[in-house]
Amino acid sequence: MSESVPTEPQTLEQRLTDFSTRLSPMLVKELRQGLRTNLFVIAFILLQTFMMLCLFAGLADPSSNGATGFFWFFITTTLLIIQPVRGFSALSSEYQLNTMDLIQLTRLDAWRITLGKWTALNAQGLLFVIGVLPYLVLRYFLGNVDIGNDFIALGGLTIGSGLATAITIGCSAFRNVIVRVIISVGLGFLVFALYQALRLLPMMGRSSSYEWELLLLLVVCAIYGIFFFLSFGASRISPLSDNLATRKRLIAIGAALVCQGFYLLGLDLEVMVATSFILGLAIIDALTEPLPIYSRVLKPFARSRFFRLTAIFLAPGWISGLGFSVLATAITIASTLVCESVAGQVIISEGGPFVTFLSSYNISLFPLVIIHIFFARHSSYNFTFGIYLFIQAALFFLTLMVSALASAMERWAELVYLLVPIPSVIAVAANDSEIEVPILLLVAVATTIVCIGFPLIRHHRRVREFIREWKPIR
Amino acid sequence: MSDLPEPDLSPPEEPAKPTETVEVAPEDAPAIEVTNLWRTFNGLRAVQGISFTVDRGHVIGFVGANGAGKTTTMRILATLDYPTSGNARICGHDVVDFPAEVRRRIGWMPDHYGTYNNMTVLEYLDFFARALGYRGSERVERITEVMEFTDLVSLSDRLIDKLSKGMGQRLCLGRALLHDPDVLILDEPAAGLDPKARVELKHLIRILAEEGKTVFISSHILSELGEMCDSLLFINHGQIIHHGTADSLRRGSNESTIVSIRVVSDSEAFREWCDLSPNVTYLDATKKGARIEIDSIDEEVIASVLRRMVMDEHEVVEFHLEERKLEDAFIEILGEIEASGGVTVN
Repeated sequence: MSESVPTEPQTLEQRLTDFSTRLSPMLVKELRQGLRTNLFVIAFILLQTFMMLCLFAGLADPSSNGATGFFWFFITTTLLIIQPVRGFSALSSEYQLNTMDLIQLTRLDAWRITLGKWTALNAQGLLFVIGVLPYLVLRYFLGNVDIGNDFIALGGLTIGSGLATAITIGCSAFRNVIVRVIISVGLGFLVFALYQALRLLPMMGRSSSYEWELLLLLVVCAIYGIFFFLSFGASRISPLSDNLATRKRLIAIGAALVCQGFYLLGLDLEVMVATSFILGLAIIDALTEPLPIYSRVLKPFARSRFFRLTAIFLAPGWISGLGFSVLATAITIASTLVCESVAGQVIISEGGPFVTFLSSYNISLFPLVIIHIFFARHSSYNFTFGIYLFIQAALFFLTLMVSALASAMERWAELVYLLVPIPSVIAVAANDSEIEVPILLLVAVATTIVCIGFPLIRHHRRVREFIREWKPIR
Repeated sequence: MSDLPEPDLSPPEEPAKPTETVEVAPEDAPAIEVTNLWRTFNGLRAVQGISFTVDRGHVIGFVGANGAGKTTTMRILATLDYPTSGNARICGHDVVDFPAEVRRRIGWMPDHYGTYNNMTVLEYLDFFARALGYRGSERVERITEVMEFTDLVSLSDRLIDKLSKGMGQRLCLGRALLHDPDVLILDEPAAGLDPKARVELKHLIRILAEEGKTVFISSHILSELGEMCDSLLFINHGQIIHHGTADSLRRGSNESTIVSIRVVSDSEAFREWCDLSPNVTYLDATKKGARIEIDSIDEEVIASVLRRMVMDEHEVVEFHLEERKLEDAFIEILGEIEASGGVTVN
């Protein structure tokens, strides 16, 4: 019988170096906690058990597709449901535990907190994927399996999982569980709609794109989506004196320009959809941002005349958010016109499509007017965003009803004249040949001016404060 | 700042605009400097134009009823909230303009300290040490120092949610000390602690004060604050109503001293002696003696009264100066404020 060798207790230093100091503190914390939870351990063991069962089922009956179905079902469930659901309480739990204040007093900023939580959840998801890889390879040896496609599908699921997790983490900044779930589902639906739109457009014969180009465009959108939704959460937990807006807006413009490049690769409508998605999200976020402490956030813009100019579009708060929305729209128009000339296609340069384009921009501005008429005193980030989404949903259904009514009555013009202030109605009407395009264009331009001008006049005191702080520091 | 409101006016709706900013704060700047600070929440005035200064190395007690504005003020000082108007500076750095500088200099301990599930004491401190930017051996050293100071070494592997309230407060204090801050802001640190844990906490705060740290501490337990603090700051309905030492507060506005006396001799004779003696008033008889009032706070006068008492053959076996309880003093100040409708700052 061999004697057991007594092990020396670990020193404090040994116990503190289980994770490299190069890793994000939030990632280390989340991994220490996450890997210790029962949910993770049980889910991992269950997944391994089911994978083995699927493998044995495949061995027993190689011609059956049942095992393959189960295989993908468990992976999809783990990556697209279990992992994102864990993100639902990522930020709100810090508030519940009274730890958010303590973290904010360290050197971790809101972005690093949010990114750390996302990375930790994805690292755990990646552990699941790595745990599944041997079964993927074994299935290949059983035959009837295209391992290349399987790897692409697994990669796609991993990216999708990252995006879904970013959505739930971003929305976890909402304290109310019901609001959190509704907004997560709403945003998830929006992302899924984009995915479907991009997938279905080539099938409608309106594009001659190759699949890899579309996949690449999807990846660009997904990466931007991950960044946007994490920033969405970070903005909600960051102090009013911090500026996350500038980076968010610059990256949105950058991502939109990257998308515009796809025109040159032969894509057309897909690019318009992707660009609208990216800039639409950024504009909605910019328009619902609370007004910051200008004395602090405008200081970095006082470096030079050029930087001061950029503050009109890139400083935090909805006032410069309006400037950003104008800039983003102008950039989109300019780059689309350039791409039109390069690719030799007509995208927005004709009257009808241009009215639709301008009305789409007005759609994003219109709820702001309603918010500043009825909810001007409620300035919280989450409240404004929630109300904004609610108004958009209400206008969407109103437009659907109007469209249905107009189809039944066959009298578009009267309805449009009646509902002139609602941009979505104009956007739909622009495709109707019954109404003169110049009139619609006039209405769309007038709506744009009102939508931008009204909130600025309504909050002229804050606009004056912005201008006062914006002036050069002598 | 010419557009700042007077104390009895509504504060402006706009957020605070610091009048000036300093990149490098002077070394001799006060630890805490608050000037005409206002904070309103949807029209509710939580803090109404308070001003005070705390010198470096001092321990200040911040006293007030629930909802008086203590936590709001402390959160503003800790850069966790913003003033509606007015200024707050920590070691010369404006809390709005230079939050990062301020955070480097403060250690914040909230009334409800936050803990995590599935995390040990060591991991908790390690997380905050990493988050504060400590790397390598420096991180290990800081954690070790803090654990030894707060006597947490034996609890290093204990899960945080299994700690008692007292241990938890020590852990929270340790976390606040990790980056060796100059100013400690402690919001109700003794709330809910048992007597032993309270004594331990008081001991730690005393050591920190001896090390030269500025401690800004709020508590409901005035007697403890009186023992620990160099001065006390009373806040009521968002306004400072008293700023002075515990002794000055105990004395209040009185110019006399109450003495509790026990004499072996005839109590009637002692009462007659009191009536005949200058500077002395007989107040009431107690179970074992009497209470008298000497119309001076000068210790020499008090000593001369005792000397005369003994010379006149009263066998004094107890002579005890009564101190006004801080709680009584606080209530008395509140009463005076209500009666006068004004603010007294000593």
